[in-house]
Amino acid sequence: MNLYVCIKQVPDTETKIKLNADSSGIDPAGIKWILSPYDEFAVEEALRLKEKNAGSTVTVISAGPTRVVEAIRTALAMGCDNGIHVEIPESADNNFAAKALAGALKKEAKVDLVFTGKEAIDDGAAQTSQLIAEHFGMPCVTVVLGAEYGATSVKCKREVEGGAFEMVETALPALLAAQKGLNEPRYASLPNIMKAKKKEVKLLKAADVGASEADQKIKYKNFQLPPPKQAGKKIAGEPAAQAKELVRALHEEAKVV
Amino acid sequence: MTWQTFAFLIIAGFAFTYSGLKFKMLFELMRKHQGKGPALDRIPERIKTAIANVFGQAAVNRKQPIGILHTTIFWGFLVITIGTLEQFVSTIYSGANFEFIGHGPYSVLVRVQDFFTAAILVAVCGAFYRRLVVQPAGIGVSRDANIVLTFTGALMIAILFMNAFYILAHHPFYSESMPVSLALATFLRGYRYSPETNAVLFTAWKWVHMLLVLGFAMYIPSSKHLHLVAAGPNSFLRKLDREKPMKPIDFTNESITQYGAAKITDLSWKDTLDYYSCTECGRCQDLCPAWNTGKELSPKKLVMDLKTNMYRNKSAILAGKYEEVGPIIDENVTEGVIWACTSCRACEVACPVFIQQVDKIYETRRNLVMMESKFPAEVQTVFKNMETNYSPWAFSAADRGNWADGLEVKTMADVGKADDLDVLLWVGCAGSFDDRNKKVLRSFVSLLKKADVKFAILGSEEQCTGDAARRIGNEYLFQTLATANVETLNRYAVKKVVTACPHCFNILKNEYKDFGGNYEVVHHSQFLSQMIRDGKLKPAAALNAKVTFHDSCYLGRWNNVYEQPRAVLGAVPGIELLEMKQNHDQSMCCGAGGGRMWMEETVGKRVNITRTEQALETGASVIAAACPFCMTMMSDGVKAKEKTESVKVMDLAELLDQATT
Repeated sequence: MNLYVCIKQVPDTETKIKLNADSSGIDPAGIKWILSPYDEFAVEEALRLKEKNAGSTVTVISAGPTRVVEAIRTALAMGCDNGIHVEIPESADNNFAAKALAGALKKEAKVDLVFTGKEAIDDGAAQTSQLIAEHFGMPCVTVVLGAEYGATSVKCKREVEGGAFEMVETALPALLAAQKGLNEPRYASLPNIMKAKKKEVKLLKAADVGASEADQKIKYKNFQLPPPKQAGKKIAGEPAAQAKELVRALHEEAKVV
Repeated sequence: MTWQTFAFLIIAGFAFTYSGLKFKMLFELMRKHQGKGPALDRIPERIKTAIANVFGQAAVNRKQPIGILHTTIFWGFLVITIGTLEQFVSTIYSGANFEFIGHGPYSVLVRVQDFFTAAILVAVCGAFYRRLVVQPAGIGVSRDANIVLTFTGALMIAILFMNAFYILAHHPFYSESMPVSLALATFLRGYRYSPETNAVLFTAWKWVHMLLVLGFAMYIPSSKHLHLVAAGPNSFLRKLDREKPMKPIDFTNESITQYGAAKITDLSWKDTLDYYSCTECGRCQDLCPAWNTGKELSPKKLVMDLKTNMYRNKSAILAGKYEEVGPIIDENVTEGVIWACTSCRACEVACPVFIQQVDKIYETRRNLVMMESKFPAEVQTVFKNMETNYSPWAFSAADRGNWADGLEVKTMADVGKADDLDVLLWVGCAGSFDDRNKKVLRSFVSLLKKADVKFAILGSEEQCTGDAARRIGNEYLFQTLATANVETLNRYAVKKVVTACPHCFNILKNEYKDFGGNYEVVHHSQFLSQMIRDGKLKPAAALNAKVTFHDSCYLGRWNNVYEQPRAVLGAVPGIELLEMKQNHDQSMCCGAGGGRMWMEETVGKRVNITRTEQALETGASVIAAACPFCMTMMSDGVKAKEKTESVKVMDLAELLDQATT
């Protein structure tokens, strides 16, 4: 099978975020970058499928500035066979990235399955997966918690509102967006880390895959950091008075009830 | 040539050939191991320790009364072997003997032999009593041990009867020098055998003795009595220092394709000598915190199981067909065994023949982690945190210095070069991010200021030392962290480092050398006791508390620091120091070492609970710790025992700071 994983490099959750000069985004300097955790589930799923189907290959693709090659190497270290980097600017939006990723997929001889994370943990937009599928022209199943792979189709268990699940079957090729719980991603073995360092990552320009600035649909401006966390309040007094004060605070101060 | 010569040559020839071939096989097995063994250095010291521990039986005698029994058997064996040799010679050349040394000396020799024959017999009875009646937990039931004791006892009985009948048949000049044999002869005289019968009976017992010796020689190579041959060399080759850096792996060497030990042959020849040396005495198991709390690991069983693994793969190893050698992880040495170890080294300290159990576990972990990515699931987050945030806890590396907010502590970035400093304070991850241990660091800083010490921290430039990663088996991650830290420390030309964490202390002091980091590293207990001795800290306020000190393994057993922490406590007025039953090198681990801090503990009783119970037994109101992980473990233990109201867990620095103005 020809398996593909589209991944995104995101800031680590513990990293200190600073805004860039014109507040149109975050300042990439000094950020510790990681492979988006949901994308790890996607990589793991592709690798497990490959291990069950001899002769399969897993290709990992990421769109972004040069730094994303690092995330591609992380996926290669986990066991992916090939890496493709589509170079697009730091400021690219979800649609630009999706167009670039779909363009890269279209250049491949045969695509059976594409895996992504259900969302990236930086912007949390949860739309690149669907956009890739749309640009490529294939069905897409999001928030996938389990999958049974057939020769020409795939049955997916997906999470829906209210803690319920639904089963979806679709023909291949298809794109599956992984939810936490799909699997437990592996820790890269050292021989694979060593191999990944030496693997060639194919570089494509946006123009090579039919994507351009014209695909940018969103203009970002006026980014703000969240207000610093306020200290907690302790309400003292008799239980009845406490409850009354709590309701008042929730209504008047927090404005949530 | 008499019939005796003829018979002896044939039988002895067979026995020694059989035994010799077995020894050759054992030697070949050793040689075929591919791991790197220790280098031979410091020969005079090695000779000294070998003499002390082989002839002096020093390590064996740390445990009594078995030590004295063993020493008796050992010395007796040496002396009696002279007699056995004489017997073999005189059987080959009839009439040849050692009497040429002169009647006087010969009488002495005979007297010593006679004494030891009886003494060994008594010791064997004592040993049998211990094994069959007392049955200490560690030794278990061993058919092998009972066979060996039977052989030894039978040999002594044969010697006494042989000597007694010799006295009766030949009236040698040295009869009086063999009081035990003579007494037996006097008793046997009552049977009024003819001189001829006595001569025949002498020959008969002599043959019983010789056949037993030869039989024993054939039995030794495949029994635990192999320690007779292996334990001496193992003492000579022992780790001479308590400090023991782990072996670095050269990741730039591309010819290395196997990291750690997947198969028994990935371990070294010295590990094999360890198996050969093991007497199955169980002293290691008796002290093992994992075993004593119901985990799968017994250091004794580990060594025996590795030996079994090696024998099972014998033909493949001897043929050099390494691809056919099975894995170390098998039905005996399970992954559970390998992950249960806290690397406290109680086993290694207890071992009378200097077996290094922990190294074998470390090497096996390296393979599991780096080659197979197999380790307790919860550790993956820890590795990832160390990779991205340089700390096992998920906190931003940028916040590493925040614990010192408001304390006016300088960072190296403020200071520039370390030349004007007395010492660099290495904070460690626990001191930086763990709320309880941040307080310890604040107390220590307070003391440093009271003593006018010029110090600085690295702040956000400090990274985890990588101790947990290394102990868990992720050498690659460890080296990434170590290299970065060495680069930072060397950039600031740091010479002296003090830390309140024994894990940081151990690794900075003993293991960073291999990566270009050479510093004088002291633990805060050493630093503080020195400050007190120099009069720079004068604890004056009385604390009036009963305190028990919990030894940290990485301070005590790994680095021989036992007295300075006690000296710090002793200097505080009003502290009454109570020792737990297990203290100093017999101390029990808190359960956090060897990366266990970062793993769930689901099998058996929790180690920290057991250790906390030992601490509570003393009746102390304060458990003093000198390690952030011991602090966490003992605090959790006190909580679990619902004693938080009456018992506090405190670091040495906190106690000293309270008493010092």
